[in-house]
Amino acid sequence: MKKFSLVEFSVEHPKLVVILSVIVTLLFMTQFPKMKTDTNPKHMLPATSDVRVWNDEVDSTFGLYEDMIVVGIKNENGVVNTETLNKIKKITDDIVRIKGVASRDVNSFPTITNVTAEAGTLKVAPLMTNIPKIDTELKKFRKDLFDNPLFLNRIISKDGKTTAIYVPLEKGANGKEIADKIREILKNEKGDEKYYVAGDPVARDTFGAEMFKLMAVFAPIAGMVMLFVRYLMFKDLFLSVTLMMDAMMSIVWSMGLLIALGFPIHIMSSMAPVFLMAIATDSMHIFNEFYFCYKEKRNKKVAIIETMHAVGRPVRYTALATAAGFGVLLFMSIIPVKVFGGLVAFGTVALRILSFSFIPAMFMFVKESHLDRASQGEDITAGSGSKLLRTLAGAGTHKAGTTVVIGLILFVISIIGISKIVVNNNLVEWFKKSNEVRVADREINNALGGTSLGYVVAISESNNEYIKTPEAMRYIEGIQRHLEKLPMVGKTFSVADYVKRINRVLHDDDPKYDTVPDTKEAVGQYLFLFSMSAKPSDLDNVVDPSFKKANIWVQLKTWDAGAMKEVIKAADEYKKQNPLPLKLKPAGIAYFNLVWNHEVLWDMVKGFVLALVVVFVILVFNFRSFKWAVVSYVPLIFTVLLIYGVIGFSGKRFDMPISVLSCLSLGMAVDFAIHFVSRLKQRLGESKDSLTDALLWTAARPGKGIMRNAVLFAAAFSVMMLAPLTPYITVGAFIVSMMLLSAIMTIVYLPALIVLMRGWLFKGGPR
Amino acid sequence: MIRYLMFLVIVLLPVEALAISAEDVMKKSQAAFLYQGKDFKARVIMKLISKGGAERIRELTMLRKNYGEPGGDQKFFMYFFQPADVKDMTFMVYKYPAKDDDRWLFVPAINMVRRIAAQDKASSFVGSDFTYEDVSGRDIHDDTHAIVKEEKLGGKDCYVIKSTPKAADVDYSYKLSWIDKTNFLPSKEEYYDRKGELYKIFSADEIKNIKGFPTVTKRAMKNLQSGHRTEVAYIKSDYNIGIEDSLFSERFLKQPPKKWVE
Repeated sequence: MKKFSLVEFSVEHPKLVVILSVIVTLLFMTQFPKMKTDTNPKHMLPATSDVRVWNDEVDSTFGLYEDMIVVGIKNENGVVNTETLNKIKKITDDIVRIKGVASRDVNSFPTITNVTAEAGTLKVAPLMTNIPKIDTELKKFRKDLFDNPLFLNRIISKDGKTTAIYVPLEKGANGKEIADKIREILKNEKGDEKYYVAGDPVARDTFGAEMFKLMAVFAPIAGMVMLFVRYLMFKDLFLSVTLMMDAMMSIVWSMGLLIALGFPIHIMSSMAPVFLMAIATDSMHIFNEFYFCYKEKRNKKVAIIETMHAVGRPVRYTALATAAGFGVLLFMSIIPVKVFGGLVAFGTVALRILSFSFIPAMFMFVKESHLDRASQGEDITAGSGSKLLRTLAGAGTHKAGTTVVIGLILFVISIIGISKIVVNNNLVEWFKKSNEVRVADREINNALGGTSLGYVVAISESNNEYIKTPEAMRYIEGIQRHLEKLPMVGKTFSVADYVKRINRVLHDDDPKYDTVPDTKEAVGQYLFLFSMSAKPSDLDNVVDPSFKKANIWVQLKTWDAGAMKEVIKAADEYKKQNPLPLKLKPAGIAYFNLVWNHEVLWDMVKGFVLALVVVFVILVFNFRSFKWAVVSYVPLIFTVLLIYGVIGFSGKRFDMPISVLSCLSLGMAVDFAIHFVSRLKQRLGESKDSLTDALLWTAARPGKGIMRNAVLFAAAFSVMMLAPLTPYITVGAFIVSMMLLSAIMTIVYLPALIVLMRGWLFKGGPR
Repeated sequence: MIRYLMFLVIVLLPVEALAISAEDVMKKSQAAFLYQGKDFKARVIMKLISKGGAERIRELTMLRKNYGEPGGDQKFFMYFFQPADVKDMTFMVYKYPAKDDDRWLFVPAINMVRRIAAQDKASSFVGSDFTYEDVSGRDIHDDTHAIVKEEKLGGKDCYVIKSTPKAADVDYSYKLSWIDKTNFLPSKEEYYDRKGELYKIFSADEIKNIKGFPTVTKRAMKNLQSGHRTEVAYIKSDYNIGIEDSLFSERFLKQPPKKWVE
């Protein structure tokens, strides 16, 4: 009864409570200027995680860059003409001057190292030192370009229409800012060429920037829509604003706390305000009941206290269930998941404190005449909304058997759907098909080896420069050919490619010598010869100074996390068939994407399952009955299963945003059931209604709160379906369907279940 | 009036006569750094050190002979000892100012001498942070030179010369050189990239007098962007040892005479 006194205190001293709430909010707000953002998915995993340590090690061993932008240049008439080549040269020169670009290792026609033999002279030099002008020069250039297998699919497409500039970025450079500068350079170019800017840093940093923009646009729009819908429901602006403030305050409190604790705002925590807005709608039940009560009692203070008495328990338990659901995420292993869980759990607690203090206090400021008018419609027999709800619940109650059977059929279908779910994540697909980031990626992937990059590192245990042996070289070559059989592998290259190239060129470009030579000395001398004139990075990128490790570059045509999985599988296969003392380890951004997606996703799934258990335990405590807990658990499980079933059938892949949303469904769907069952039991205890009547009453009165809650939320979040980024569309669609489904489940299915299982649920037989 | 003019000439003349132009400083520096003596021999040990600290070693004997005045033609003969698998590899360069070098390489594994194109002077010398130009010198006339200031560096009075390439044929947009006023050897060079940022630093770390010629016996080139650096030590340096012209031939590339390479 301690909480109850908080309500009474608030009603007695409304001004004090409101002023205190505002002061606390302002205090949290003082932290906002310190806000830091971090949109790099890489930071989802700590710097000490195995994959990041290993990737950093690979980067430093081979002088590689974490991030690379790929600029595609396409000319339908072929890129080998003086005019286009001039542009490529000029664009490359301009890109090299951009701050944050690792200029020395930009690879493009004017900078990429070529190895050729001309009239008995060996030449190791950039491919295009002078721009070919006359026909014979162009012809020779074309031959240089297409004769070197290292170039094909890397900097020139098979049809000769597309070339690429590979732009590595210095550590910490912002991909979107550099991409924007590159686009600025490209904008000045006129002519038939088309330009595409792609690569992980572009997608990632553009997404990060867009995400914050969207949060800044959609959270307020959703808020405004909610305000408007609320106004339509309660016909009172003051109360609608109060509800809004309730949500806003809890958002300010929790975000303020997050910032004060020094955490940067990650992709995941940026979604917290939306989640809190969703959870805040639970105070709708207080309003709903208050209007009914006020109409009966005609006394504000009494109505408030009665309301809190009636809904206090369910509101407390829904809050507890939600907070616990998110709280379990604190025990997960990924930091942003923990932060997110803690953030939402804290916000939920804040919301409930406000529900028992700020909201009752605010009720005290509403003019009674307003309330009279507004509460006119609140009659469970006359109100049209309530009537509809009674009908719905009636269908469940009177045709309980049919309802349950339909439910079971849906259940089976959902399970089939779920079995079809494909787990995957693809950062580029977070953009719409028509978005320039995705278009660029698609175009370059169609024409060239691919914008996504993974590595397979071959490691020898021996100390005597094992990589230089012909057997190691042939082994590396074999892995490459094996990997290239995979459809999404567009290009591979390694130290073996350089060795073969030099062997052939030293033997007067005789194709017979396009092979690995037979002695270790020859390999060593060829590589030395190559290093005499090539850029230092050419060799560093593919082999370590002690020749113990070789790095095979694998260009992938898709950002699907699963693609790298296939590469790893294929490499392991090859290793099994061809035993050699070389260990194979994957690395690179594609590998990182695979790992972090996997870890974050399964961490969320683990958290979700744990939360399900915790919520069930809370239900048992709440109803002091295992049986009732099972029954009220059904709408939650059903909603989740149905949505996942649809995801399975629709072919949409189970990705990170969906796994995050699963947690939200848990917080919401269980709320409705708690309200429904609590109030039903209260009603049965307080009145002499039969079970059917009590069910209908519950559906009509607290049910209206449930329906209001659901509609309000669906309305607000349907706005998100207009967002340009697919995860937001997913969030919108998911929330809308989840709210409506769980409300319907609660109002139709729950009564049916209760009626059918009354013998089991009620001791001493049903009324 | 005439008196006045004469006074002016007297006042200005000594200054004019004493001042040295930036180009002259660079010419003297080139002569002191790369053209000392009639010929020169040294055992060179290069350490190529990656950002992570991993080392690759290059060990070679370098023989040089001058043909004509400082700034003129030179011939180089190099014999490699390390890395182990390139032992017996030899490399020969005929260097001409204002024209591409001629280069030949002997590859022992296939017992073959190959001419190597030398179009790109800015490319790395045997995988080090030094370019071919850093090793054999850049034509003075390819750059415009200006004395930026004069200052002490490590206790030595230096000219600070800014050299800006006339054509965009190298990776840097300009270079600052600290030239020791007493021996005209470069003490330090800073290379600025096309974004105007310092990215490469050369330093002369040890200078020894060999047969009366001040010689840089330890030097380093550090790439600030890649974190890669190269340290070079000259051991057993010697001047005016009478290297024959016949050494610089394809025949001796395949079978280098022991007396010169050891």
